Amino acid sequence: MSKRLSLVLLVVILLAVIAACAPAPTPIPPTAAPKPTDAPKPTTAPAQPTAAPATKAPEPTKAGFAFPTENITIEVWWHEYAPMTAYVKELIEAYKKVRPNVTVNATVASSTDMNTKLTAALAAGTGPDVMDADASYYVAYYTKGVLEPANLDVFGVKTYQELADKYVPGGLASGTFDGKIYTLPYQGNSMSLFLNNKLFAAAGLDVKKDAPKTWNDLMALCTKLKKVEGNRTSQKAFEFPYHSPRWQLQDLQPMTEQFGGKLLSDDGKTAYLNSPEAVKALTLWRDVTKACGDPKNTKNTASDPNKDFLDGFTAMWITGPWATPQVTASPVKNDFTVVGLPQVDPAKPKTMVYGWAWGVYNKRPDKNKIAAWDFVKFMLSKPDEWLGKAGFVQPVKGVSDSATAKNFPFFDVHMKDVQTATWYIRSEFVNEIAQAVGRAVDSVVYDGKDPKAALDEAQAAVEKVLKK
Amino acid sequence: MSALTSTQTRPIWKRLNWNVTTKQALFAYAILFPTIAILALFRFFPMLQAFYVSLTEYDLLRPPKFIGLENFIDLVQDPLFLSSARISIMYVVLSCVPVWVLSLGLAVLFNRHIVAKNFFRSAAFMPVVMPAVVNAVVWTFMYHQDGVVNTVIGWFGVDPIPWLRSSAWALWAVIIIGIWRATPYYMVIFLAGLQAIPEEYYEAAQIDGASAWSQFRHITLPLLKPTTLLVMVMSVIVAMKVFAVPMIMTGGGPADSTRVLPLMIYQTAFEFFKMGRAAAMSIFLFAAVMIFTVFQIRLFARGEE
Amino acid sequence: MKNILRHRSNLIVYPLLLVVAFIGLLPYYWMVSCSFKLNENMFAYPLQWFPDPINWLAYPAAWKAQDFTRYFVNSAFVAIAITLGNLLLASLAGYSLAKFQYKGRNILFLLILSTMMLPLEVTMVPLFLIIKQFDWANTYEGLIVPFFVDGFGVFLMRQYLLSIPKDLLEAARMDGASEFRIYAQIVMPLCKPALAALGVFTFREAWDMYIWPLIIVTKDSLKTVPLGISLFMSNFGVAWDQLMAIAAIGTLPMLLLFFFLQRSFIQGIAITGLKE
Repeated sequence: MSKRLSLVLLVVILLAVIAACAPAPTPIPPTAAPKPTDAPKPTTAPAQPTAAPATKAPEPTKAGFAFPTENITIEVWWHEYAPMTAYVKELIEAYKKVRPNVTVNATVASSTDMNTKLTAALAAGTGPDVMDADASYYVAYYTKGVLEPANLDVFGVKTYQELADKYVPGGLASGTFDGKIYTLPYQGNSMSLFLNNKLFAAAGLDVKKDAPKTWNDLMALCTKLKKVEGNRTSQKAFEFPYHSPRWQLQDLQPMTEQFGGKLLSDDGKTAYLNSPEAVKALTLWRDVTKACGDPKNTKNTASDPNKDFLDGFTAMWITGPWATPQVTASPVKNDFTVVGLPQVDPAKPKTMVYGWAWGVYNKRPDKNKIAAWDFVKFMLSKPDEWLGKAGFVQPVKGVSDSATAKNFPFFDVHMKDVQTATWYIRSEFVNEIAQAVGRAVDSVVYDGKDPKAALDEAQAAVEKVLKK
Repeated sequence: MSALTSTQTRPIWKRLNWNVTTKQALFAYAILFPTIAILALFRFFPMLQAFYVSLTEYDLLRPPKFIGLENFIDLVQDPLFLSSARISIMYVVLSCVPVWVLSLGLAVLFNRHIVAKNFFRSAAFMPVVMPAVVNAVVWTFMYHQDGVVNTVIGWFGVDPIPWLRSSAWALWAVIIIGIWRATPYYMVIFLAGLQAIPEEYYEAAQIDGASAWSQFRHITLPLLKPTTLLVMVMSVIVAMKVFAVPMIMTGGGPADSTRVLPLMIYQTAFEFFKMGRAAAMSIFLFAAVMIFTVFQIRLFARGEE
Repeated sequence: MKNILRHRSNLIVYPLLLVVAFIGLLPYYWMVSCSFKLNENMFAYPLQWFPDPINWLAYPAAWKAQDFTRYFVNSAFVAIAITLGNLLLASLAGYSLAKFQYKGRNILFLLILSTMMLPLEVTMVPLFLIIKQFDWANTYEGLIVPFFVDGFGVFLMRQYLLSIPKDLLEAARMDGASEFRIYAQIVMPLCKPALAALGVFTFREAWDMYIWPLIIVTKDSLKTVPLGISLFMSNFGVAWDQLMAIAAIGTLPMLLLFFFLQRSFIQGIAITGLKE
């Protein structure tokens, strides 16, 4: 009796387990190596990208290009940003009417997680048709061969140059690799200086007249705008970002360029993190922080980067145009002014631009890739709505003339900073470089390390990475 | 499962000698089997792959390239990896030792007659229940310069501490959360250990005039040895794997002061696209935990049947 | 004499207990009190111990900001399924490892233990590839099956079962009870405290799962509560009141479970530490 029962039990359990395993009897090749077919062929990965403008690649338009008529389902992923999510959902609805045979499946993930999620999906070959990533990440994706170049037929142009001509000069630089355009930005953010009018007025300053043009101007204001009560800083004049290494690079890059240097060569192969210009920039950073800020007291976090400015705790803060809706919704309301990024030499302005862009995954069926580019084109077709509804500046020609742009606070200032801007450094190793820079900045500001020594270490770390 | 495999054609059940021991062993194998099957597929297999990947250069998108031990050789010379390993060790030591002392102390405290014992015990136990993500978010909030932690220490005249904004303090901030969350859990384990010590031992000691400290030293501690070992093993394993709190609170900063090994592994894999290197780092982590645990289990084994 | 001694030590004990309770409860109090504060008072200096004025809107606003009803149903379903799986499989495996003699037992136990020692961040990508082979991305199976049993559960059950006297099982065998009956009718009832502890811990881990669902779920209809919470921390600037509100709601199921199972649960963890 008991013998039979245990035998029956054994069989039942075995069957259950076998049944559970049945769908994939040999799930993974015996070598324990991830399936080579899941990853793109190495041959599709060209050498380092170059920032060369999109001049060549004259691919003639095939005669009689027609959009596929069969039913297509495309996956679209983007990072969460409430106004943008609302607007993209609106666009998806509108797209249904234009292309009834295309179904769009949408997925939203928080900006900090998007990269992890996308990387894992691309590794498994299950990436979305349309992906959204920080423009600087795309270098890595391009190098690893997962990006599909823009479909010229869909955009109704004959050459990549024709497509690039629709944008401001350099507007597509972040997504152009070896003469082809691979990604299209939906936000190209300048980094400009936001000023709190009330705090200026309270310090007896006139925001129009006294707005700083140079770092020296800015430091001169700090004695008036920084307030200390006992041990506690109750108001900061100006602050650099300390919540994320990416933001720190965002500020150190233009400062280094203002001194006439750069952090990385154009081909991305050589780093100059400890160049005299970079050391000057970091030294200036440290001095400005000492005079104007208090990095120990900040409410800014990676997920809430503008908090101190929004609370009226910091009088001057460098951020992008996308922060505008946040500022107007905060206690600061409309009492703010935006001026260009402070300069070392206002005669030779250097600024920076960064942003997020759409890309298309190349390991998808042809009809999906066509539909994906068609959807991207549709989404980007109304730059004034992107500005009005999400606060994003697309680096497209003519956007300044729209009524929305004219109503957008300080649109001209942002646009002017975009025109003197270099894109956020382009490198497959952008995250490692940002981390090295962040480490150097932190150790100078928090631990009192010598800027040269800190940057020497960063340079050594980055050189090691680039050498591989 | 070697007992079940055979090339002979006779059915298994006719060949087997169904004595009691075999029957019991078969039953034991059978009820262990589903666990082994699931763990083999979803844990060992990925682990084996991680071992293989540690010998390759693998960016997740292109096929892995075999490079032998290069990742390992590179890592032992990499100052960033070594500093991360050092921070992990500091975290483990500086969080686990206080946890052992405090949890034992609290257990002794709760092992006596107390009015409203249930309330106090539940309150003390609450930290264990808070979900990890919530835990990190709430503490980030509390650690702010003008936040609740600095306000409380201000009552005792201590100046505000820049918890998350100073490379000298940030690791302590993370450690304090670790202690806060782990102590009550081990306290309950110690409490049970204490309750299992017969009262007569203490009574006899009191007759001999032993002081409270000497009772604790000569009766409680020796008899708690198995419990203590268990607490040590478990707390170290948990501490070695700490991830969510530094990830959400500090991202490893400022100046790398909280970049514990699991966080560095995660960033190397998913932000730097270096799966091979990340896997090699995790082999080091795995080896460290494994050596420690095997060592402890051997100590355990003495007390077992 | 004894009474006085007791009395005197109580002067230390009760203040100490109050301090412990304060430290244990402070983050909970802070979470709840902040969920009722206005956003502009969130970081007020000096800080506001009690919300003034009280903001009642955070909870409804947070709940409506995402499809949290759905996320809670998903989280509950996934967590309950994983918990049940662990209770069954870990108790079987723990029983096997604790109370039977057979070849390879210790090595199998060591292997099971070793699964506790590698963080998921490392094995995540290989695991994801396996799940993809099963075609389980974006399914409940993909969220549940890989975690159906866990090394920690087996370890916990084994430790507990070691303390059950062998004679009890032998006596049942003498009476002719089958092995399965012994497990179901004798061993299981004795395991209640350990099962309660395992249940609470598995549920907590499952309720907490973050990176795994992030990677395998792309459909909104399959999202879990932590994914919903993470969307509150988007780059737009955090609505702190709503974040605290949703964190409080997300903690509630854990608290309820703890209070309902408190007794047997604390007993369960406790006995794990005991060896006869």
